Amino acid sequence: MPGNPYEKIQALVIDDFENFRNTVSKMLQIFGIRNVDSAATGAEALRYCASKVYDVILCDQNLGKGKSGQQILEVLRHKPSLNSDSLFVLISAETNKSIIMAAYDYEPDAYLTKPITSQALEQRLQRLFAQRLALMPIHKAMKEEKIDEAIALCKKKIADADRFAGICQKMLGRLLLDSGRYEEAESIYRELLEVRQLDWAMLGMALAKKNQGDSLSAQHWLEEILQLNPLCLKAYDTLAEIMRERGDFQSQQKIIQQAVDVSPLSILRQQILGDISLKNNDVLTAASAYRKAVKIGENSCFDNLDTHENFARAGVQLAKIDKVAAKPILRDALKVIADIPVNFGKNNANKVNSYLLESQLHMAASDERRSLEALGHAEKIIATHPPDLPIESKIEYVKTLREVGHQLEADNIIAELLAEYAADEQQLQKIDCLLDEPRSVKNKAVVAKVNKDGIAFYDAKDFVRAVECFSNALQDFPQHIGLRLNLVQALIGLSKQQADKTQSAIHIKNTLDTVRQMITERHPQFPRFRQLDDVLNAIS
Amino acid sequence: MLLDRCGDTMNRETPEIDFSFVLASSVHDMKNSLGMLLNTLTDVMQKYPPSDAAHAKSYAVLEYEAARVNSELIQLLSLYRLDHDQIRVHIDECIVVDLLNEQVARNCEVFQTRDIQLSLVCDESLIGYVDGDLVSGVINNMLVNCARYSRAALIMSAEQTPDGLCITIDDDGPGYPEDMLNASTYAESRSSFAGGRPHLGLLFANKVALMHENKSKRGFIRLTNDSCLGGGRFRLYLP
Repeated sequence: MPGNPYEKIQALVIDDFENFRNTVSKMLQIFGIRNVDSAATGAEALRYCASKVYDVILCDQNLGKGKSGQQILEVLRHKPSLNSDSLFVLISAETNKSIIMAAYDYEPDAYLTKPITSQALEQRLQRLFAQRLALMPIHKAMKEEKIDEAIALCKKKIADADRFAGICQKMLGRLLLDSGRYEEAESIYRELLEVRQLDWAMLGMALAKKNQGDSLSAQHWLEEILQLNPLCLKAYDTLAEIMRERGDFQSQQKIIQQAVDVSPLSILRQQILGDISLKNNDVLTAASAYRKAVKIGENSCFDNLDTHENFARAGVQLAKIDKVAAKPILRDALKVIADIPVNFGKNNANKVNSYLLESQLHMAASDERRSLEALGHAEKIIATHPPDLPIESKIEYVKTLREVGHQLEADNIIAELLAEYAADEQQLQKIDCLLDEPRSVKNKAVVAKVNKDGIAFYDAKDFVRAVECFSNALQDFPQHIGLRLNLVQALIGLSKQQADKTQSAIHIKNTLDTVRQMITERHPQFPRFRQLDDVLNAIS
Repeated sequence: MLLDRCGDTMNRETPEIDFSFVLASSVHDMKNSLGMLLNTLTDVMQKYPPSDAAHAKSYAVLEYEAARVNSELIQLLSLYRLDHDQIRVHIDECIVVDLLNEQVARNCEVFQTRDIQLSLVCDESLIGYVDGDLVSGVINNMLVNCARYSRAALIMSAEQTPDGLCITIDDDGPGYPEDMLNASTYAESRSSFAGGRPHLGLLFANKVALMHENKSKRGFIRLTNDSCLGGGRFRLYLP
């Protein structure tokens, strides 16, 4: 009697419908896979995965509440675990796999479309097992970091016109790129592209060019890919990366936004969009992106504390420029902030930050009573546990005190911090965002450069870039009066070039009002401030 | 005095329905139900094997119609997306025999219950550059349709030709009617309901073929009645 080739195979079936779980289990049993576990939810499945190695996991994309199939895959692949190398088969009713692929960041080993017949299932699994077996030596070499061996094995399969030659070509390209052999990689991709335009070969070409420093060629290739295949997320990601390296943060944001429009459920991209749009002063986009990231984060292993806190911060900033748009954001942010200790640990730092941000949010919503109440809670913990608290909490404390108008207390704490960390460059860098003039060596240089660049743009009458330059810097140094006055001057220059001066006029007024709140008569820049204020009055 | 309707501040606009989402959602639900239907049917057929020819015919009808609904759903979603969402074709390498085998496996029950012999002739090492999802949909569609009109045999084959990869489906049925042999029929966007033959299916196949482009060569379909089995012949060419 022939042996059962699937004797030792361990399988896991994940679906929220019992009927479906039973059907698939039965199908597996019929062709010899007898060791089948089944789970109804992501949580249950992950418990199984934590204690047993499965050869194959069959998972429905839609599992109702909780993690989706893709989110389970995320957990398994994100960090090395027992089942990060298991064959993962995603089952869904969707026929177009680009659509699913576009939605997330990790690719399953196979997609199966419902309704499934047992023949189709068996055939697919047979192919997957056969492929895994055939490619095992290559994967083993890769795991053991024997890159040259892996490359040689790939080349052999390609030369033999093996049925897996195509897959080996993709792997070969990847290996060459990863090991720095860019010219070789380029020639492989070029050869393929001469026959037809495969988007993975174009992507490889772009990466080869990028890694050789030719970012313009890389950009050209990536834009071509996106023309043909607007769902190719890797192309967006690489293009955004190029923009970031060039320092063109506006373009970086535009591209990430496009990628997010294609894959709104990708938490990583929403987080990046939040960060980059905040940096670009686009507070509305930042708040919206962070809000989505928090929502998706409910079931994702990529959820993190920073995103939740940044959501609140973006909300506070948004309220300063658009109270109407900020209202729903503030409401949601308050809920999110209240849950921080529950979601990320009930330690003192989290509790304090949660109260402080809550206080700022209430103030932004014009609820002074609740704001002071929250501040009181925070202060109680601060008073009883000062040594425990990290500097970040103290910085947040200063920001909160300023928001509620307790300037004197804020100044006292800053003085304390500066005294304590006078010689600590690392900590000084963190404190600088609270100061008018930075104290750390690094940030002094940063501000000097910003001024140099901004003034160069101003002198060349490129007022748009000048405004951008100073605005961006003010995100990092919001208390810097000199930078803000430079911004005003750049805005005045810009408005002179514009036919419709209303927007600029509003912006100039708001910026000067912000300075008005911060500046005192004794400040060295006060005369300059007065002069610009007069210009404003003359314009309006 | 009549109320001034202009003062009415209620939002009169109905929220716009994202039909793309409605369609995808409905199709997903329908496919889930279909899955349940087919699985239950398999169970029933196992528990109560056909006792006579009429019984067997009923099973055949159930199998066929369920397969038909499924292939129409795939086609519906794909056609809508190709037109409205501007889904682009995504070309990747595929091992042709695997792709074709999959469609055979998907539909083997339909052929079994109708007593139709389906054979596949394709070199193991034949590689194609196609949009696997769309081409699967087209092949699935054609197989299901041919199942209706074939008598006892169907041959699916694939080979490389100067016009590109050619996938052929030969049946031993009555052959395609005159109007379908005319290539312009399935280029029309308005399908005709005359004759009961699946013109929409050919429209779909034609569209998918056209969307396969390589260096200025495009795909196309051909219908003839010179099948090696005496019935109709469907050919799909992909560059």
